[in-house]
Amino acid sequence: MAPLGCFLQLFSALALALGLAAGETRRLLALEALGEAEELAEELWGAGLPGDLPELEPECRRLLVAFAERSAALTDCLGRRARPVRLCQACHLDYRRLLAQYGSIVRAVGNSSESHNCAKSILTSDRLQIVVTLSEFFNETWEAANCANCLKNSSEGLSDSTVEFLDLFNKSLTCFEHNLQGQTTYLSPNNYTEVCRNCNETYRKLNNLYNNLQRMNRQGGESGHSAHLCIDVEDAMNITRKLWSRTFNCSMPCSDTVPVIAVSSFILFLPIVFYLSSFLHSKQKKRILILPKRIQSNASLVNIQEKYS
Amino acid sequence: QLTPSSFLRIGQMSNVDLNEDIHELETELPRQHPNEIPHNEKLLSLKYESLDYDNSENQLFLEEERRINHAAFRTVEIKRWVICAMIGILTGLVACFIDIVVENLAGLKYRVVKGNIDKFTEKGGLSFSLLLWATLNASVVMVGSVIVAFIEPVAAGSGIPQIKCYLNGVKIPHVVRLKTLVIKVCGVILSVVGGLAVGKEGPMIHSGAVIAAGISQGRSTSLKRDFKIFEYFRRDTEKRDFVSAGAAAGVSAAFGAPVGGVLFSLEEGASFWNQFLTWRIFFASMISTFTLNSVLSVYHGNAWDLSSPGLINFGRFDTEKMGYTIQEIPIFIFMGVVGGILGALFNALNYWLTMFRIRYIHRPCLQVVEAMLVAAVTATVGFVMIYCSRDCQPIQGSTVAYPLQLFCDDGEYNSMATAFFNTPEKSVVNLFHDPPGSYNPMTLGMFTLMYFFLACWTYGLTVSAGVFIPSLLIGAAWGRLFGISLSYLTKGSIWADPGKYALMGAAAQLGGIVRMTLSLTVIMMEATGNVTYGFPIMLVLMTAKIVGDYFVEGLYDMHIQLQSVPFLHWEAPVTSHSLTAREVMSTPVTCLRRIERVGTVVDILSDTSSNHNGFPVVESNPDATQVAGLRGLILRSQLIVLLKHKVFVERANLSLVQRRLKLKDFRDAYPRFPPIQSIHVSQDERECMIDLSEFMNPSPYTVPQEASLPRVFKLFRALGLRHLVVVDNRNEVVGMVTRKDLARYRLGKEGLEELSLAQT
Repeated sequence: MAPLGCFLQLFSALALALGLAAGETRRLLALEALGEAEELAEELWGAGLPGDLPELEPECRRLLVAFAERSAALTDCLGRRARPVRLCQACHLDYRRLLAQYGSIVRAVGNSSESHNCAKSILTSDRLQIVVTLSEFFNETWEAANCANCLKNSSEGLSDSTVEFLDLFNKSLTCFEHNLQGQTTYLSPNNYTEVCRNCNETYRKLNNLYNNLQRMNRQGGESGHSAHLCIDVEDAMNITRKLWSRTFNCSMPCSDTVPVIAVSSFILFLPIVFYLSSFLHSKQKKRILILPKRIQSNASLVNIQEKYS
Repeated sequence: QLTPSSFLRIGQMSNVDLNEDIHELETELPRQHPNEIPHNEKLLSLKYESLDYDNSENQLFLEEERRINHAAFRTVEIKRWVICAMIGILTGLVACFIDIVVENLAGLKYRVVKGNIDKFTEKGGLSFSLLLWATLNASVVMVGSVIVAFIEPVAAGSGIPQIKCYLNGVKIPHVVRLKTLVIKVCGVILSVVGGLAVGKEGPMIHSGAVIAAGISQGRSTSLKRDFKIFEYFRRDTEKRDFVSAGAAAGVSAAFGAPVGGVLFSLEEGASFWNQFLTWRIFFASMISTFTLNSVLSVYHGNAWDLSSPGLINFGRFDTEKMGYTIQEIPIFIFMGVVGGILGALFNALNYWLTMFRIRYIHRPCLQVVEAMLVAAVTATVGFVMIYCSRDCQPIQGSTVAYPLQLFCDDGEYNSMATAFFNTPEKSVVNLFHDPPGSYNPMTLGMFTLMYFFLACWTYGLTVSAGVFIPSLLIGAAWGRLFGISLSYLTKGSIWADPGKYALMGAAAQLGGIVRMTLSLTVIMMEATGNVTYGFPIMLVLMTAKIVGDYFVEGLYDMHIQLQSVPFLHWEAPVTSHSLTAREVMSTPVTCLRRIERVGTVVDILSDTSSNHNGFPVVESNPDATQVAGLRGLILRSQLIVLLKHKVFVERANLSLVQRRLKLKDFRDAYPRFPPIQSIHVSQDERECMIDLSEFMNPSPYTVPQEASLPRVFKLFRALGLRHLVVVDNRNEVVGMVTRKDLARYRLGKEGLEELSLAQT
């Protein structure tokens, strides 16, 4: 058995190698062919031949390049501002530019007098449609981040409430830093009472502002917008809250376990009293049996009794 | 001259040894010591009467049929469709009303309590929040319970057992009245807002049925308004068909499941069914869902988007993510077994509780107090669970309606609170759709345990509330727990999406409690909008039913039995062939002669000890020794109408101008015939004679004495009879078989059992 298996393995390996080799050559050939085609196309273009040729006309090429640059800029911005999240503040200009660029590509359909328009050849002439995909990706990201929520309507810049919030946020961060610097030198790292005391006011303000924003957003946002604030604000608040309650351990809720236990056990005790008292004092409801008007023949009695026993 | 008491007793004359028995019986009849026993399940209540599905083919009926031509019958058919459409529309509107009111009131309550808790978390004094929550719950439930206990006790519970009995042919007093509907709707709103472990879906079925019964009659006796329409449908048979349509419309509005509604009506409700009815019922269900959709879409601000059907919307399960593989089938079946066992436990506990309630907590005040206590305890349990839970989840990106922070860090919420601090419907949806990791196993376990007992305790209170949603919630909680532990145990090799297992658990638990199969499968499929899960849900429900039936019967059947309702199942008990009609029937029978003295009729009808509803009519021989064969059957209601209109032989001779009685006069009195006491008959009139031959049903169904019980049962059950006369070979009346005579035989644990009749 073993030699046969060995032979089979060898054979298959050989076949694989051959196949690979064949594939390689074929690909090389194909590349070569493509190159040749490109050259041919350029020649043809030089000759002034119109039509669906692999090369874009220069106008469209410019649009495409601009789009590529702007999307690169936006991607760069998004990537850099991912943590801590500053997407909406930092990248909204880039996003707007990209939108404009995409718009101009789309609008290029307008001059349809020419037989070859840019929108068609850039956007819809292949299966992948990479420009559309890219622009959709950016739009979706923007939607998911809900940036529209902290930008001014239809114009650049952050909205007033967002600016206010970010100011407060920066203020509380500086407050944290300020108080910590004096502390770390001589206090144990777990004791942050000073931070808690000194920054309480700022933190409360920030928290209230955030809650207000959220409430307003929920009331006004029933039509269209989702219930979320924009990601910058949400993330800033999240960081502050985590610092406040986890790292500094400042929110110490008063846990009053004893009264809660007392009240709840009192309430839980009530049904027992109720059921016991109704069992002991309430008169049990009796049913009055009615004798049916029926022939009490022995046969049927026996029948039933037999089955009972 | 006959004395009033000497009306004919045919049974006495039939044979000798029978006579002896009767004498024995009669000596016992004046009972000095009424036989009193505590309530138990082996009783049949005298309170319940039968509905009359048999058409009385008397002369009036024939005349009317002759008068109405073919075209008129076609309009009757069109009217049926119109009525079904109206049933659907109104049921949908009632469902909308309940939904919107519950949403707003519950939202208000939870906002108030949440504000209070948030306030006291910082300052301390959470016991006040607990007191506030408990008091709010208790007071809302108190109102709900007071209206049910003092105004209309039949509106208590889910109403499904009552509708089931009604469709079986038992007349439950007040069950389809407008007053009941109003109390039911208000009661269910108050009990859901009061935070009890209840749902608003079960009562929708009852509401639909009441609406159907009301519309099809074209009038309301409660409001004393008669719209003079749909008079043709004023009898039990027609009303029954519409009531089953109403029940289906109710289900369809509750779950957004039109097909499920039809199948529910078929499986649970209707004891009588015909093919033409199916399509009409489906029509009513569809209209009901459509109405609900349209109105709710307008209410939610996206008008004419009809894609969110049903009071409870389980949400869409994503079909790509939520496939299932063959390896999961045994797991699903195992879940069915668990559901069956838990359901049986639920039912057994509820059985003991209900028995206790019937025996000891029968005064309305006590019932109200009990409901309030349950409400307070529900709030307390919820609060303690939330208080003790340390399961915090980030608030960001979650869709919690009322996030409670309590002791969690800022920006997080207590995950136990999503389950307890919410209406049960919302909790179910959360359990189905929250992403994996939203709940700790510990949270789910404690929640399941607590909610199981709370729901079991709550069902049977004197509030109107359903058991569907609590069961789903219990099941969803342990199903999710099961899913989580499954992927934990197998070290993640089975990637179990907890939402899927929550759905299966919910199906298993509900199936284990109510033991529905076909309709529940379809309802779950329609409510989740997912056909892919049809097969696993079916498997789960089948297993749950089989396992559950091994221990105890379903919750609804159990409650029907505990109410001592003479319910007729599909078949007679299997070992009852040796019993014959002679042993089953009641005898002697109070008969009337064809031309009877008015005084005699009045005396028979006023006799409280024999409160019969149907009387065989025999040949009126001048001398009582002759053979008096059966000629027909007349009902109490007909006699009362005759007496009211004074249709006496003498008067007919006096005034020929007197209007002839028509079938309409009988229908107008339906369904609440005046009691005999309200009809005044003067001393002179007592001597008049009354001719029954025109009004009686000349061809009542009869059986010979030797017919076996299953034979009698089949005839009775299939035709929906109310009276079945037993005759001997000379066509003399020997006895009468009624519903209670048949329903008292039951297959118990040790073979055939006989239930006893009791005054309740």
